[in-house]
Amino acid sequence: MRVSEIDLVSPSSVDKCLYMLRDHDKTFRLLAGGTDAIVQMKDGKRIPDIWINIKNLTELRYIREEKEGIHIGPLTTHTDIVKSELLQKKADVLVGASMEVGAIQLQNMGTVGGNIGTASPAGDTIPALFVLDAQIELSSFNEKRTIPINEFFTGPGKTVQKQNEMITNIIIQPQSENEIGIFEKLGPRKAQSISIVNVAITLRMGSNPRECLEGKIAFGSVGPTIIRSKKCEKMLALGPLDDTAIQDIAGAAWKEVMPISDVRASAKYRRSMASALLERGLYRLMNRWDAR
Amino acid sequence: MSKEVKDVQKLENQQQLKWVGKSVKRIDGPAKVTGEQKYKTDFNYPNMVWGKVLRARYPFAKIKGIDTSKAEAHPDAVCVLTHKDIPGFNGFGIVTPDQPVLCEDVVRCTGDAVALVAAESLEAAEEAINLIEVDYEPLEPVTDAEAAMIQGAPQLHPDGNIHSHVTIVNGDIDKGFEEADFIFENTFYSPRQMHAFIETEGGWGKLEEDGSLTIQCPAQYGHRDKLQIARALALNPERIHVYSSPNGGGFGGKDEITVQIYLALLAQNTDGRPVKIHLSREESVIAGIKRHPFKVTVKTGAKKDGTLIANKVRAVADTGAYASLGGAVTALAIEHASGPYKIPNVDMEGFCVYTNNGIAGAFRGFGVNQVCVGIETHIDMLAEKTGLDPIEIRKKNAYLQGDRSSLGHVVSSSVGTIETLMEAEECDLWVNRELYKSQVSEPWKKRGVAAATSFHGVGMGIGTPDYGAATIELLKDGRFKVGVAIEEIGTGNGTVYAQVAAECLRCEVDNIAVIQGDTKETLDSGTISASRSTYTGGRAIATAAPNMITLLTEAAAEILNVSKSEIELADNKLIVAGDESQSVNYKQIYEKLYEQHRSMRVEGHFYLPREKKELKNSGGAPHHLYGYMTHVVMVEVDTLTGETDVLHVVAIPDVGKVLNPQGLEGQSEGGAVMGIGYTLYEDILIEEGYHKTKNFTDYIIPTIRETPIIETIPVESNEKSGPFGAKGIAEVVMIPIIPAIMAAIHDATGARINHLPATPERIYKAIQETKKQTLVSR
Ligand SMILES: Cc1cc2nc3c(=O)[nH]c(=O)nc-3n(C[C@H](O)[C@H](O)[C@H](O)COP(=O)(O)OP(=O)(O)OC[C@H]3O[C@@H](n4cnc5c(N)ncnc54)[C@H](O)[C@@H]3O)c2cc1C
Repeated sequence: MRVSEIDLVSPSSVDKCLYMLRDHDKTFRLLAGGTDAIVQMKDGKRIPDIWINIKNLTELRYIREEKEGIHIGPLTTHTDIVKSELLQKKADVLVGASMEVGAIQLQNMGTVGGNIGTASPAGDTIPALFVLDAQIELSSFNEKRTIPINEFFTGPGKTVQKQNEMITNIIIQPQSENEIGIFEKLGPRKAQSISIVNVAITLRMGSNPRECLEGKIAFGSVGPTIIRSKKCEKMLALGPLDDTAIQDIAGAAWKEVMPISDVRASAKYRRSMASALLERGLYRLMNRWDAR
Repeated sequence: MSKEVKDVQKLENQQQLKWVGKSVKRIDGPAKVTGEQKYKTDFNYPNMVWGKVLRARYPFAKIKGIDTSKAEAHPDAVCVLTHKDIPGFNGFGIVTPDQPVLCEDVVRCTGDAVALVAAESLEAAEEAINLIEVDYEPLEPVTDAEAAMIQGAPQLHPDGNIHSHVTIVNGDIDKGFEEADFIFENTFYSPRQMHAFIETEGGWGKLEEDGSLTIQCPAQYGHRDKLQIARALALNPERIHVYSSPNGGGFGGKDEITVQIYLALLAQNTDGRPVKIHLSREESVIAGIKRHPFKVTVKTGAKKDGTLIANKVRAVADTGAYASLGGAVTALAIEHASGPYKIPNVDMEGFCVYTNNGIAGAFRGFGVNQVCVGIETHIDMLAEKTGLDPIEIRKKNAYLQGDRSSLGHVVSSSVGTIETLMEAEECDLWVNRELYKSQVSEPWKKRGVAAATSFHGVGMGIGTPDYGAATIELLKDGRFKVGVAIEEIGTGNGTVYAQVAAECLRCEVDNIAVIQGDTKETLDSGTISASRSTYTGGRAIATAAPNMITLLTEAAAEILNVSKSEIELADNKLIVAGDESQSVNYKQIYEKLYEQHRSMRVEGHFYLPREKKELKNSGGAPHHLYGYMTHVVMVEVDTLTGETDVLHVVAIPDVGKVLNPQGLEGQSEGGAVMGIGYTLYEDILIEEGYHKTKNFTDYIIPTIRETPIIETIPVESNEKSGPFGAKGIAEVVMIPIIPAIMAAIHDATGARINHLPATPERIYKAIQETKKQTLVSR
């Protein structure tokens, strides 16, 4: 089919959208900001029979705190996230990640739902969502189910989402007073670049100097999906996070990742960079913590 | 001295320049910043058809057959063309026409064109293209330039894989090295940089009712394109009109034929319907011309006191499947490979070699970018070894006007190297470099400051015709139309043309209408390349202006009934000398000339000055004129990751004379950023003849966040032959910044990167290696 012959429909509500998705005879693709979907279409990939334009479904664009966590609508743009005072206070690691997506133009267009939907191993918000224990709500016309983020992705570009489903909510656990987080990214340049390696870190700090009670570390772009660095996480609580401890923890990271070589970087460099970014991130976090 | 030169100098001496030297706003500025400016590829016409090119499937293969029947049967196809449909010579190329318009028996790179289609829509054209069946017999591609030179390598062209070999020898190289206290030898690899213009190659072709052909297409030399089209179509060139301005960026990438011949062929087969081709970015990456990747081995000998005594250079350039300007690029590289210095013993040679890696050709800097890193790095190493100041070493070795250069010829044109170095020495960044270096933003980051110097020939050199021509026509409303064929490719040359014309004719800049890139209305004035357009076009206008003044004077004398010698040029009018009350304006003169049916158009022609004797086997060296330049840069390297930021650039060009300060800054800043891209980010990766880098996803050019503070401090050496003392700078502004960044990385980290681009991965690796050597931990 010619691209010019693909239909585009714009449902006026989530229900109408889910109703359309029931149809098994046609292939559909949701279009949010379109910053991934259109690029892929140009490459001749994943071209549907019908585009479903959901950009106007404002009911899916929100950030609000509820009992079980902070709810983020999938149509929330990266700019929405960056500007949200709630997230700045209680999910700084996600704000940091959205700030690193492309550049301003991309952040205005691109959505968090689209970033998850693309399921790229290099997607920048995904490691942040991992360390915030995100739950992804998938809805179909008849059903709703909630999947923990660590079970959502099954490989590069692959998720457990079914053809008749869409993401309707993302629930994250807010950071408490003594929790701090950071997102570190290494790309070939500062803006508009695909991560060579990225890492999201959150730490829960104790009352003694640089005492870390527990922490979470998630690497992107160093495996088929996000990698939680369990060994390094355990080391975080072994003693105060002074410079030597930071170097030791970072030094262990390269063993936990399993990157590949491609045009952007060699596997070897990616391994070293997993350590480097963790080191840089922990340094910066501790500086922030000391200065608070 | 010619009369015009004297006139111009008189104006200069009067020191009351009204337009020249002023930041006159770009005449095309408002249209461009508002987006109103339409480029050739922005247009669409009713009744149009779309053209599409079938590119080769293999980097190297025999064609055993081409079957177009299915494509022809496509309901929306208008025509399908192969080599059989070329009426004239099936080849193009500025110097050696070795590139087939449409391949017949063999394809030599994946950018090769095999067939053309015109169809009712772009999608239909793409479908029809995919229906063409080509029967190939793939051959083993030649993917490395050095390997291509070895006997027994598969031959790409009948004369072998070495397209050209140039040499420059002066003095006694062996004696030089014997006398040297220090010898440095290193090999440098340079990237396959892409021009990355916003407007990809494309345009329009139309067969007019009178049988003539119109081509509208961003291009860098419409008059020459006309000849190349005529040769392929076996048409009288006078029946072809090329409209080639403005360009959405050129940088050399549109110097060669891009799509003009395809457009012409298709236009002859679409019943007079206009046909459009516009390459996607992906097709532009594969088929468009790139900068030659070079492997350069440089050996430099120096004395303890900092005197450079010997320089040996061997450069191998990968021109890809076709020559285009590869021979000239290699020759220019060798001419510049010993820097703007007086090294008494040099032995330099360059090879331009065919491979199956795309096609390389002209690109801003034209070979000098690739070679300048050798001599400049070695000067830096010499400074490190001897403890001498790196700027002092350069000053000590730089030739002055009237000195003998490393090539052995006496440089009689203006030379501002020392002045640029003195400015560098005195600039704040250099003076306070230790302070700035200590101000790192985080403890694991390191800063370095370094300077480098280079130069770049202006114009074509010996052996290639190099002339400029301008027309000036008096218009009905008393304004002037100034015609210079040289295209606007983003540099703002049209504004400078208006300034020079307004200055010479003593009118307002607004009263000058500039016409460029129009083969019907303007005289052949050469290319927009070789840093020549301000210099050449400006000089041609300054040469035409006195002819216009003569015409105006004659008419004024008649109107005012006085003798010609009593008439004097004043602002916007002519007066009787000493009596302002007796005057005529340009509109009145138009009316007078119109009544008398006299021509109101004058011409000016200018031949670029050149050296008398060509250096044997040099391929065109030396040039008569060079622009000189020093860059000082500061970088900050993240030693954890290798990420490198250029934070501050001081750009010090010797411009002869600044014609438009704002325009100069534009060139200087653009050049600096392009140089940063070359050094740190940009490369088109090709493996086994196939492009690994496909579009801007992985072709990394600097964004505003990679753009540092750039200061421009011009030095004016007053070039006698140029318009108001000016010379060209458009290429040199991206050159010394390359070795300067490399040296600054070394200053910061101790690591030397000889393989560009210096990506974070390469820098990280080099830092790790220096640690191993010195056993110093972080
Ligand atoms: C120049 C450029 C730079 C970029 N830089 C970065 C970067 O630095 N970091 C980064 O992570 N990404 C980057 N991207 C990728 C992209 O911008 C982001 O992934 C963005 O968040 C995608 O959001 P979108 O709304 O545009 O997605 P779309 O393109 O609209 O959709 C992407 C995919 O998700 C699906 N989808 C969208 N919404 C939903 C939903 N509610 N439920 C289920 N599926 C859904 C779509 O069907 C599609 O398959 C870049 C892209 C470009 C073009």
